[in-house]
Amino acid sequence: MNELELIQGLKNGDERAFKFLVDTYQDLVYNTAISIVQNAEDAEDVSQEVFIQVYRSIHSFKGESKLSTWLYRITTTRALDLLRSRKSKKRLGFLQRLFGDGNEPLIELPDFHHPGIALDKKEQAAQLLKAIAKLPENQKTAFTLHKMENLSYQEVSEVMGISVSAVESLMHRAKQNLRKILEKQVE
Amino acid sequence: MKPDKSQRIEEILGSLDGLKRAPAPDFFFTRLKAKMESRLASPERRPVLLRPVFVVASLLLVLLLNALVVLKSGSAEETVLTELETEQSIAADYSINTNLTYELNQ
Repeated sequence: MNELELIQGLKNGDERAFKFLVDTYQDLVYNTAISIVQNAEDAEDVSQEVFIQVYRSIHSFKGESKLSTWLYRITTTRALDLLRSRKSKKRLGFLQRLFGDGNEPLIELPDFHHPGIALDKKEQAAQLLKAIAKLPENQKTAFTLHKMENLSYQEVSEVMGISVSAVESLMHRAKQNLRKILEKQVE
Repeated sequence: MKPDKSQRIEEILGSLDGLKRAPAPDFFFTRLKAKMESRLASPERRPVLLRPVFVVASLLLVLLLNALVVLKSGSAEETVLTELETEQSIAADYSINTNLTYELNQ
């Protein structure tokens, strides 16, 4: 099934087309999600929501970009939304501890190990992923898409809706910030 | 920064080279389908009080109450002024010194 046939099938509500979509793109979506949210359960939730959104809003897809570009865009948006909601829950929890009895333990999340990283690089990659988690959203998105999904700057610019030079600038600042963060992290 | 530390940071920055895509979990499609079917069977309902119409109505009610409080405090000031004016006019009618009325009120 080529992309045009797939899109037409999805618009017709063809279940085989939907299965083909999921089978073809589930790894792309899941890898992007897990690279941003850094948690397997959350990544699966995000991935499911991405495909549900595609199913519901395929009629609004105009075909001006590739289907994969659209999927990347939805995935990064949903993953970043999840990170924001995690952050606000954390703030609420802090306030509850402040005004509560304060006996609840502070849970520190363990280092995240990406399933696609070679064994000999796992510890170093965990440190890098910890640092990536601290980047501003745009830098995080650009860096993740380029490094974890091997997208070219051109492809990243299409996903993010910005110019290639803007992507170059984001990558440059991301690397500078990662160096600063790692300087404090690495003993 | 020590050269050793700088080298370690560069190694860390390069640790994602050769990364393979994390595969979606087994039975991903099965679980996705189950989720979609359960949502069709029991669609999520927003709590009544969180529906936009109730939120807007609550906000309008709060604004209205604030406006009423402001208006009432304004008329309370007017009442005090009116009482003072009444005292002064009575004093004027009976040619009484208003200072005297102040003494009487003490």
